[in-house]
Amino acid sequence: MADIIATNETILVVGGGISGMTAALEAAEYGKQVILVEKEAGVGGRVSKLYKYFPKLCHPTCGQEINQRRIKMNPNVRLMTMTEVTEVSGEEGNYSVTLKTSPRYVNNNCTACGDCANAVEAEFDDEMNYGLGKRKGAYLPSRMSFPQQYVLDPRIIGTPDANAAKEACKYDAIDLDMQEESTSITVGAIVWATGWQPYDANKIQPYGYDRFDNVITSVEFERLMDPHGPTGGKLLRPSDGKEAKNIAFIQCAGSRDRNHLKHCSRICCMASLKQTTYVRERYGDDGKSTIYYIDIRAIDRIDNFFQNVKADETVTFIKSKVANIVENKENKNPVLRGVNTEGYDRYENEHDLVVLAVGMQPSVPAGDFPMNVVVNEHGFIEEDESNGGIFAAGCSADALDVNRAVQSATASALRAIQVVNRVAGTEG
Amino acid sequence: MADEMKIGAYICKGCGIGERLDTAQMAQIATRDAKAAIAKEHEFLCNADGIKMIQDDIDNEGVNRVAIIGCSRRAKVEAFNFKDVAITRGNIREGVIWVRPDTDEARETTQDMADDYVRMAVIEAKFCKPPTPNEETAYNRHVLVVGGGVTGMTAAVEIAKAGYSATIVEKTGALGGAAAKSWKRIPQKSPYADPEDTGVADLIKFIEDSDKITVHLNSTLTKTSGAPGRFSADITAESGSTTTENFGAIVQASGYTEYDANQLPELGYGKSDNVVTQAELDAMALAADGGPIKTKDGKEVKSVAFVQCAGQRSDKEGHLNYCSGHCCSTSVKQAMYFKDQNPAIDTNVIYTDLRMPGAGGEDFYRSGQRKGVTFTKGCVTEVATGGSELEVKFKDLILNEDTSEKVDLVVLATGQVANSGLNIDEVGQDEPGEWKTNPESVLNLSYRQGKDIPQLTMGFNDSHFICFPYETRRTGIYTAGPVRRPMDMQQAMEDAVGAAMKAIQAVENAGKGRAAHPRAGDLSYPQFRREGCTQCKRCTVECPFGAIDEDEQRFPQFNEARCRRCGTCMGACPVRVISFENYSVDSVGQQIKNIDIPDEFEEKPRILALACENDAYPALDMAAMNRVEYSAFVRVVPVRCLGSVNLIWITDALNSGYDGAVLMGCKKGENYQCHFVKGSEMASVRMSKVDDTLQSLSLEPERVTTHEVAITDIERAPEIINEMAETIEKIGLSPFKF
Amino acid sequence: MSNLNQTMVEKYRNDFLNEVRANVEEGDWVNMCMQCGVCAGSCPLGPYWEHPPQEIFMMIRAGKREEVLTSTSMWMCTSCYNCIARCPRELPITHIMHGLAHYADRLGLAPKEQPTRKFANKFWDNLTKKGRVNELKLGLALYFMNGFMEGIKVAMANQKLGLNMIKTKRMNPMEIIGGHGVKDTSGLHAILKKAREIELAKAEEFKG
Repeated sequence: MADIIATNETILVVGGGISGMTAALEAAEYGKQVILVEKEAGVGGRVSKLYKYFPKLCHPTCGQEINQRRIKMNPNVRLMTMTEVTEVSGEEGNYSVTLKTSPRYVNNNCTACGDCANAVEAEFDDEMNYGLGKRKGAYLPSRMSFPQQYVLDPRIIGTPDANAAKEACKYDAIDLDMQEESTSITVGAIVWATGWQPYDANKIQPYGYDRFDNVITSVEFERLMDPHGPTGGKLLRPSDGKEAKNIAFIQCAGSRDRNHLKHCSRICCMASLKQTTYVRERYGDDGKSTIYYIDIRAIDRIDNFFQNVKADETVTFIKSKVANIVENKENKNPVLRGVNTEGYDRYENEHDLVVLAVGMQPSVPAGDFPMNVVVNEHGFIEEDESNGGIFAAGCSADALDVNRAVQSATASALRAIQVVNRVAGTEG
Repeated sequence: MADEMKIGAYICKGCGIGERLDTAQMAQIATRDAKAAIAKEHEFLCNADGIKMIQDDIDNEGVNRVAIIGCSRRAKVEAFNFKDVAITRGNIREGVIWVRPDTDEARETTQDMADDYVRMAVIEAKFCKPPTPNEETAYNRHVLVVGGGVTGMTAAVEIAKAGYSATIVEKTGALGGAAAKSWKRIPQKSPYADPEDTGVADLIKFIEDSDKITVHLNSTLTKTSGAPGRFSADITAESGSTTTENFGAIVQASGYTEYDANQLPELGYGKSDNVVTQAELDAMALAADGGPIKTKDGKEVKSVAFVQCAGQRSDKEGHLNYCSGHCCSTSVKQAMYFKDQNPAIDTNVIYTDLRMPGAGGEDFYRSGQRKGVTFTKGCVTEVATGGSELEVKFKDLILNEDTSEKVDLVVLATGQVANSGLNIDEVGQDEPGEWKTNPESVLNLSYRQGKDIPQLTMGFNDSHFICFPYETRRTGIYTAGPVRRPMDMQQAMEDAVGAAMKAIQAVENAGKGRAAHPRAGDLSYPQFRREGCTQCKRCTVECPFGAIDEDEQRFPQFNEARCRRCGTCMGACPVRVISFENYSVDSVGQQIKNIDIPDEFEEKPRILALACENDAYPALDMAAMNRVEYSAFVRVVPVRCLGSVNLIWITDALNSGYDGAVLMGCKKGENYQCHFVKGSEMASVRMSKVDDTLQSLSLEPERVTTHEVAITDIERAPEIINEMAETIEKIGLSPFKF
Repeated sequence: MSNLNQTMVEKYRNDFLNEVRANVEEGDWVNMCMQCGVCAGSCPLGPYWEHPPQEIFMMIRAGKREEVLTSTSMWMCTSCYNCIARCPRELPITHIMHGLAHYADRLGLAPKEQPTRKFANKFWDNLTKKGRVNELKLGLALYFMNGFMEGIKVAMANQKLGLNMIKTKRMNPMEIIGGHGVKDTSGLHAILKKAREIELAKAEEFKG
């Protein structure tokens, strides 16, 4: 990666999810040089694993297609995948950044023909599907992958599979000798958009995510609906592969809870409301959704989405933080126990499947940032003058929905531009 | 580039193409049938050697149109990136070999398919010029900011900080808007525990000290015309004097008006002075300045109830059917005004869902509780004003009983109503030349389609795109703050920064003649042959972005900088006088006409599929990656938007012997997913008239179908094609085979 | 109405929440509840509660003084701490329940026949006398809690258990006379007196 040319008028964007892509593209379409680094093998981030967005019920891959085309068409953006930032020094207008690029073992010759994947035997949990399915040791992370290049799993390097992949490739695209590379660049400003990860549901012990097959997370539920997902878009529950028709959604699974995440993750209410429409999409009047909630946070004009879901007779709302879940040993149905606090009713409700609306946790733990920034007690980067030319975008800044994350990213693009414009002296 | 056209066709044999198809025959077709000057095969076209081969031809052989026959136009874009030539792609990987079985039986029809894609790519190259930027560009680093509230001020400040200049036009006599009338704001920083200073004074000071920001108080816009890079605005002061200034872009931060609480008599508003709105309470707090807050008759308030969702989230006539987002936090802030001054004051917030999201929201909620603010989940039915105290009657939803509470003061959390100007879908536009100022309009645009930005829903000027929140339907004009959707001050300020970003970007793009989102950077623009125009106005009416006005002679007047290059005008034009250099009635029409139509005895029908390049086409690509098979009789042509589909393409196809046509576009209607807003809707309106054409040709109506296809429809999109093949099998081939 | 109850009613009038915050152990936390109900759902004795904890908190906010203080509900708490462990808002629910029970008892509003209350009072009286629990006396007091005849019956039924306990030195029959205690009984009583003073002073200082 010696050909990376960056100056103190260049903007570095860290993270290639929708926030990072947006920040990079807005700055590049304005006319700035941008380096976009992404830890994974391709851009898209968390939203590329969603089936639909609320409130429009449109598909994230649609916006991703546009954004990927914008990247392809824009010579100002230089994308570096499988790359992480390891060190940042310097100051606003003049940062030295060290990047670490992991070997992909596949070069630009790759045509995405798929011959290597056919040749490889080993299979691993598919990250794209949160481990709900398997993928090969040579793989294209998703059908939307950009760059559209295969990756070799480092675990097959040194095994006969790696050689099989290399031999299968007619285009000399597989390079088993690729090494981790370190690059140093100079940039003027940094947009930090490393996004979020779902809160570890194993930690919510009373809900038995680790013990009961039919307790899954909201992000996994998205994969079940996706035609590219592990079930080809069918709502099949993990224990027996049967269709799940009576589904419980548990809100604040890890959010608004001092035992887990103290903050409200904002998106989960709308996400669950949205997911009830999936149940309707699949089963019509035969499906049944129950939402266990503390407050339904369908904020601003999208409140009408909540009103519409409320009007759906197959959806029930119970104001309750579910106390615990046990499993019906006979049919593996999860049984939810708790109290509806609107009028005090105890319930013991059996469902086919439980979806935990897991909270949003910043991807980078507070102590792990390679630079000095002000981080609040929830792990989000605060806007602060002492951050200099480093600006948080999207869910690095707060628990945000996609729309607000993109807004935030657009704003941070401007903040970065202000810095590099000052450097360029165009201010006066 | 004005030199003579020379087309090079390059056929890739990689990824199994060479094994499955007769590429030599395809090369021959490229030169013989489609008249390419050069046709070459290559084992691996996208590698360095293949690219060099093409580049050499460009450099040494004068090739200026390149037809790449290989993988989809979505693949290897970075590799096939040749400067200053027109590039087309024939999709024989995802479009042919990956969707066809590798059997002897299928070999011939598969080869037919590939042969046609060669013809199409070469013909398209023939009718595509590399676009030259439109000359009507203008560069102006001055941004107009409409509204001097916190949103507008923040936008102006951020624009100035980026090195541009801004002019604020504010209707009232002072900057600051609603925030200036508030005592404090909801906290914006950790630990999110206490109300904080509004920050208005700092913003005003920055503006006063800045030589880049001009302010017009007591002023409104009486006329706004032009396009990005060359907006012209008449700024009229209350006194009546008008100045005209030019701008590169516009930020509309016209804010909100508090919902009229007089419509809530059941909640006691208007009946008692002690029932106030949130804005009124903030004014009382501002007057008290940290001292005890007093009622109108001078009594210190000892107990106060906050009624959330007053006239909001309600279907009742005259109420707002949305949530204003900020009111829960605002009530907590205001309850703290009381608690911080005197902890003994009883403050109760009556809510149905407490909506304080994110990290700050929950912290602030807890802080309120810690300070002794109480929260009751309940529905208020009435505020009785008869007695010495106010009686708030409500249903306690937790204790499940009707109850009441007596208080000194009731604060109604009424919502935000957007100051979005005229709803142009309901109010018509003046005839050109008879242009009048409308007092209710915010922008008073002189656009053919109306004076203000189209409203999305509930009166808000929001973008309909989740991924692209700033995409208004008027290029170069960006809305920010509560006019876009209900929001609190922190969000409004962040929103203002985003809108400022888009505004300076619009300035730069307009200066270079580049398109704005979603075809950012596209240099092509609609070109119009005035002689042929019949002044039917379809283009001016149908343009989703209101880019086209009418001149004094009633001819369409294209404002290129307002154009988003969707081609809806091209699709609308009945006399086909609108085209782009690289996308035209011919560039698609000639592809359709130049495929090989087998005669009826061969029993090989032909189906035309016009697919939206952003959703339906990728869906077909991804179906191919999954090896979903579909009929070999289809020929797929990607289109910028279904809205760009001109009826002539369908008519020509049917006339040339196609047996059916399927159109695949994005979802239309209320939750439209069309990236050009109205494109797919326009297409479906036009296609509803295709029956007449079919009738005149004595063809069955089922031969042409229009479908909504999402990018995830990897099963359905091929199915649609197969269904058409089945339909044709049922009703028979078209009689128009020559 | 007891004198203390009378005083409190006058002092706080309609403001039961502040009365609780001032006078009940950990009562200040009542306000932090967000009505999720996880406490109610997590209580092993849940179905026996007429009003589960979160509802009690709401009733306190709603000023239902009489109903709360005369309720048997908070006497149901067995201190399993499940609710505290799960409460997303960190409320020390177990302590608040005991605090409320204690306060109700002090005011003389606690349900007279509530067995937990009776036991608790016997236990307290027994313990505070000498600083050590006199198990024999406590046991006997409990047997006879519901009258003499009932006491005899219970004592007879538990005869074997009692003898076994004596045999295995789990119970000393000599405790019936005097019994053991801490060294400095008057010191203990002084401590208890001081604790009560602090409790009252805290309530006095409470400003809402």
